[in-house]
Amino acid sequence: MRGARRALACAVLCTVMVVGVAAAQDARLDRLTPETRALVVPILDSARAAGLPTDPLIDRALEGTSKGASSALIASVLRRVAAELGRARDALGSGADAAELAAAADALRAGATPGVLVRLRDGLAGRRLTVPLGVTADLIARGVPADTAAALLIARARSARDAELLAFERSVARDIALGAAPTTAATTSALDLLNNIPAEGGASGPVKHKP
Amino acid sequence: MPERPDELFARVAAELEHPAPMDRAVDARVMAAVRAEATRRPWFLRRRTFAWSPAGLLMRAAAVAAIAVGATIAALHLRSVPPTSPPDHTVAFVLYAPGARSVSLAGDFNDWSKSATPLHPTASAGAWVVTVPLAPGRYHYAFVVDGKRWVTDPGAAPAPGDDFGKPSSVMTVGRS
Repeated sequence: MRGARRALACAVLCTVMVVGVAAAQDARLDRLTPETRALVVPILDSARAAGLPTDPLIDRALEGTSKGASSALIASVLRRVAAELGRARDALGSGADAAELAAAADALRAGATPGVLVRLRDGLAGRRLTVPLGVTADLIARGVPADTAAALLIARARSARDAELLAFERSVARDIALGAAPTTAATTSALDLLNNIPAEGGASGPVKHKP
Repeated sequence: MPERPDELFARVAAELEHPAPMDRAVDARVMAAVRAEATRRPWFLRRRTFAWSPAGLLMRAAAVAAIAVGATIAALHLRSVPPTSPPDHTVAFVLYAPGARSVSLAGDFNDWSKSATPLHPTASAGAWVVTVPLAPGRYHYAFVVDGKRWVTDPGAAPAPGDDFGKPSSVMTVGRS
């Protein structure tokens, strides 16, 4: 009888843990309207069942809510992002983590093909890909052709640290802002990186901005 | 003359009817040894017997099922959580917004809250600033001016797409 009581206590404890996990999962979704949540939760469940990270999806749902988007639009965006995460995972493999998949999904959204992601994966095997993929996505968004961006990243990222790649991106952005053609700016900055120009920091993006 | 089997059995049975004399302290010694055994070992190492009653079996099955469900859900949940890294960069976000009454930062790092990360006006007129500790990763974000106007970071890369009609910027934070 004591064993049975102990088993019952285990069952209760596990149930509490399960409820706790579920509650933790739902905590961020509390900011969604009930209508949005009803549309979003099945998409999250499908993504989770497919082994995809759900945090990028929840982030987009929260972004849409904060920006006042309709429930239908939020759901539509989430379906597209989930599809992009799936394509990213197919290209990078099941070993890719959530940050890498999110960066790869951004690169796809910016215009990279799955083939570009595969080239980056193969060309930078053994390296964490979040920064190379993020820099690739940002270069494409700034107008650098996807193939050029990938080739430059593969050539430079093997030996460059994250901070150096991010400094490379800032250099490209600065030259484009000054009027250089995106491809020229990227190629010139890649040569500078090759010549070991000192890195300036660890995060992309400028410091002072004017709206 | 050999003894007949029934006579042998009768003799053995008669002998067994007389219990062997036993020390009166045996019971006390045995029980003391049992109690000492029970208290010497932690509960999970003690010898025990199991009664396989239907209710006990049902409870054990429920416990196993609950553990399996809990482990599955926890595993699924943990897979969706990116590897936790301590914030190893403090990023300064600065916006030049002369005439603004308030400026805040909303993004993936604060669940897109329009009030959680306010920028503070600096001594330079029109400049607003806030520093945010960020772990390595990729973040979408935007500034919110006066609680309603969404402003991208012109120096950062634009987030791909304009899904919600109010564009965002994107930032990648690398490892040190």
